[in-house]
Amino acid sequence: MSSSLTFWSGRDEVDASRRDFLTRVGFAVAASALTGCSRGVVQKAIPYLNKPEEITPGVAAWYATTCAGCAAGCALLVKTRDGRPIKIEGNDESRLFGGTCATGQASVLSLYDAERLKGPLWKGEPATWAEVDAQIEQRLGAVIAGGHAIVLLTGTISSPSTRALIAEWTARVPRFRHVVYDAVSSSALMRATEACFGIRAVPHYRFDLAATIVGIEADFLGTWISPVEFTRQYARGRRPDPRTMSRHYQFEAGVSLTGSNADWRVAVPASLQGAVALALLHRIAATAGVAVDVPPDLEAGIDARALTAAADDLWRHRGASLVVSGSQDMATQVVVYAINALLDNVGVTVDVESPSLQKQGDDEAVAQLVDEMNRGDVHALMLYGVNPLYDYPDTARFARGLESVALTISFADRLDETAARVHAVCPDHHFLEAWNDAEPVASSFSLSQPTIAPMLDTRAAQDSLLKWLAKENDFYSYIRDYWRHNVFPLQSTFAPFDAFWDRALHDGVFDARTAREVSARRDRSKPAARFVELWKSAADTVAGQHERGSVARAAGRYEAHLFETVALRDGRHANNPWLQELPDPVTKITWGNCVALSPAVARDLHVSSGDVVRVMAGHDTFELPAYLQAGQAARTVSIALGYGRERAGKVGGRVGTNAFALVTADLGVRRYFREGIVLEKTGRHEALATTQEHHSMEGRPIVKTTSLADLAIEPPAPSEMPSLWAEREGGEHRWGLVIDLNSCTGCSACVTACQAENNVPVVGRDEVLRGREMHWLRIDAYTTDSEEHPETVVQPMMCQHCENAPCESVCPVLATVHSSDGLNQQIYNRCVGTRYCENNCPYKVRRFNWFEYAQNDRFDFNMNNPVGRMVLNPDVVVRSRGVMEKCSMCVQRVQAGKLLARQEDRAPADGDIKTACQQVCPAEAIVFGDLNDPRSRAATMRRSGRYYRVLDELGTKPNVGYLTKVRNRTTSEPG
Amino acid sequence: MRWRVLVAAALVACGALTGLLAHALSRVGNNQGYAPEQPIAFSHKLHAGDARVPCLYCHFGATTSRHAGIPPVNVCMNCHGLLKKQTRDIERLKELVERAQPIAWVKVHNLPDFVYFNHSQHVISGVECQSCHGRVETMVRVTQQAPLTMGWCIQCHRSHQTVDAHTPAANLDCGKCHY
Repeated sequence: MSSSLTFWSGRDEVDASRRDFLTRVGFAVAASALTGCSRGVVQKAIPYLNKPEEITPGVAAWYATTCAGCAAGCALLVKTRDGRPIKIEGNDESRLFGGTCATGQASVLSLYDAERLKGPLWKGEPATWAEVDAQIEQRLGAVIAGGHAIVLLTGTISSPSTRALIAEWTARVPRFRHVVYDAVSSSALMRATEACFGIRAVPHYRFDLAATIVGIEADFLGTWISPVEFTRQYARGRRPDPRTMSRHYQFEAGVSLTGSNADWRVAVPASLQGAVALALLHRIAATAGVAVDVPPDLEAGIDARALTAAADDLWRHRGASLVVSGSQDMATQVVVYAINALLDNVGVTVDVESPSLQKQGDDEAVAQLVDEMNRGDVHALMLYGVNPLYDYPDTARFARGLESVALTISFADRLDETAARVHAVCPDHHFLEAWNDAEPVASSFSLSQPTIAPMLDTRAAQDSLLKWLAKENDFYSYIRDYWRHNVFPLQSTFAPFDAFWDRALHDGVFDARTAREVSARRDRSKPAARFVELWKSAADTVAGQHERGSVARAAGRYEAHLFETVALRDGRHANNPWLQELPDPVTKITWGNCVALSPAVARDLHVSSGDVVRVMAGHDTFELPAYLQAGQAARTVSIALGYGRERAGKVGGRVGTNAFALVTADLGVRRYFREGIVLEKTGRHEALATTQEHHSMEGRPIVKTTSLADLAIEPPAPSEMPSLWAEREGGEHRWGLVIDLNSCTGCSACVTACQAENNVPVVGRDEVLRGREMHWLRIDAYTTDSEEHPETVVQPMMCQHCENAPCESVCPVLATVHSSDGLNQQIYNRCVGTRYCENNCPYKVRRFNWFEYAQNDRFDFNMNNPVGRMVLNPDVVVRSRGVMEKCSMCVQRVQAGKLLARQEDRAPADGDIKTACQQVCPAEAIVFGDLNDPRSRAATMRRSGRYYRVLDELGTKPNVGYLTKVRNRTTSEPG
Repeated sequence: MRWRVLVAAALVACGALTGLLAHALSRVGNNQGYAPEQPIAFSHKLHAGDARVPCLYCHFGATTSRHAGIPPVNVCMNCHGLLKKQTRDIERLKELVERAQPIAWVKVHNLPDFVYFNHSQHVISGVECQSCHGRVETMVRVTQQAPLTMGWCIQCHRSHQTVDAHTPAANLDCGKCHY
């Protein structure tokens, strides 16, 4: 037990004298003797006064809406009970999306954050809307009368109605302008698209149409632009059919979620992104018969074999390949466009005619705004969906600029870093309480509707903007008007607008792209004529940058690479305990960030995991615990953004270190790596709250992998071990799960979904350090030993519901028994907490309630306040201290599915019942079904040659099985 | 010999006390006979008995939801908004409606939190309301007729193991009710 752990000491010591003990025992006996005369607590039942027709207490109502956890705008279906949302699912009606990411899953909890502002503030003091409006209107009037600049600074907004409203402001208010600020920006990609194709937007990518995918520092499965959509597309291409299976190369500095899934991952410092792109262009252009001049040392430090293999594969699959880059260097992005254009990908896998609207940040405009603010030229500033005093690289400069603005307004939902320094805070609704719309990809629309009436005295930001523009209507009617005039005419199925509106609201989505646009092939976009000269000059620029950079690289310093984590993203969700406790898919670290170093660098510095390292960049110094990451690019360290929030709330405040100051700006354009870093060991140690420290399978076939070539060879049939136990008499159904390891990317959305569905508690950093995290489902990450080319495989691990369960035979009170339909049941009220079952489980999937996690000040998370408890699923018990819990295979959903079938007087059909993990998975990796029904998907997958069960040799006979992971590579290639 | 009498008396007293304790402890959680006073003296005998209002008219949740539900006040007002005859309780009902104050009924049939009971599963399987709730149509004040202990539930489940093609056997798995 490490002595650095602080023990919580809030409770008084229990009186331990013998006399008191006897007194209490005596009292207990007497009290129980009297119970026959008295009842338990009297319970009240309070029905509606006037029940809404569509609500039946006890039956869920579902509403379609759109997620606002990030700017991707995934289509959602929200489950509400008794008028409040409790669970978020993906909306299958959408042609783009399906499932959600971990952040989207957790966003239902941020609705019930007790630290949201309860109403507007004027100069830090609570005020009424009337008072705040009066102040703002008066001051705005003065600013307008004086002819001064008014700026609306927002995050990416894809909502067409909101953009129309902002356009109205621009048209009607002189010197008003809208600036878009993304904390993690793709502005260079937008500029490159504009230069090449005349459209200033991020293109819409189609990974499902690509047989060869090359990612250059782009975490498209985790956090880049539209990860849910990309994951679904990518997974479709990973079915192990030799004719269609995609091949994925990833060039990156740190190990990302996407990189850990690649067939061939090459560790390359972020500063060499341009060189990688140029090297690929050089090869592909040569094959295409076009000469591109490159400096002789262009490929120094990059695996040439990988470049050649990638270029060959790309060329072989031209027209069905894709190169993407997260670079913030415009020249590099133009080079990438050149590659895609030479490969005939533009118009197929890269769609610029129906571009994405999910990233619109304009870095140069933001930089210009900060300059203007510091000159005192901006007299009114409204901040919507942004927090620059946290995530702008030079927060001090932004703060100074903010001081000179006469009127500053924030629409933030809490007193965050920026809202604490503005004049008026006009808190916006949470997206689950609001009317809104979205257009994630041009011509693909979706609607947002409230799933609960606004809980606090908040007002939609758009309603505030309408009010101050002296318009009479509210945003709901504004959206309807917009749709009536702009969206409704795009279709011809419905004649009356109201019929179209009702249908759109029901479906949640309306896709106006024609079938021709959505399906596979179409006319290639003709690049602008200037494109050809453009990419040649871009190639020269990249080459020039590379030559200049070589000098810096030779100086012997390190390079810091910055990235968003899957859970916290840019830090906006820092106060969400589910996300803070979600183990990072790659490092498995919770409650904080670290500086990821390669083992070689760690040896140079004489540090091991947990030793605090000082990272020095110019005047900035950061201290973070080190994490040894095999596969980290040489002389590069990776640090996650989104941590170190000062004013997120009780949960997220001061967790981790803020690394945004390491973001560099080149003529305003922000880049997410910094060269010239000095690293120093501090000598201190800070334990990393990680849920998995050991990443080796120790030679056991826990995750089976094979290559596409080897797949044809029949695996030996698993020998059925003789069993001491009699064959169990089954019932009508036998529920089982099959998990396709080819589809699973490790994104961990299922972990959060399970937590939301099953009321799994949050335990906090100290308890995670003791290994007591309560997640029923975990994603195990196994890495091979190679330091240079580690291969990572992931495996979702939950209760395997074994037919010969080792846990069932050792429970002294029979609290865990096997049901007639194949589930291993955990009966909480019978459990006495022996923990023998946990000991005996070979998969270590059982979690013990060491404390009362609900209504306990020691665990002051969502279960400790009445608002946070509103998220609890009423169909699942909240377990108390001293009982064991584990995956129940969503028995409440099984029951509900069977009941629904009975109500309709039929047998449950395959697909009726979906476990929470299955329903949320964007990659459709988990399949639940009746193994007794030979036609069910699960039973069919079970008969596949790839099917295997973990630790089968122990004779547990699990009902959960996996499909061998197949990588698309030959055995001679490294990972 | 006096001390022998004392010992015997003490033993008898202990025995009686143990017996009382055992009886009391065995009744923990068993609320059979519970008939609390309600905020409005609603008589099932009058409505379900004399007026022959079907159970499912008011307790409509029983076929679709886990809760049969105490009817919302608008169901009461369906009739009592129109009927001429007014009693003191109906006046109180109307007053509550005017003040928009929901009625806090005292729940008679309570199951502990670790039990999951779903009305619709039982109702669509053909279990009559009276099987568990007794002859409610004769009750002026609702009384809990059945013990509602696990043993009592299991007894009925055990006797319904073979049924017709439409109705599945009553399940005896622990996890069907305890999850």
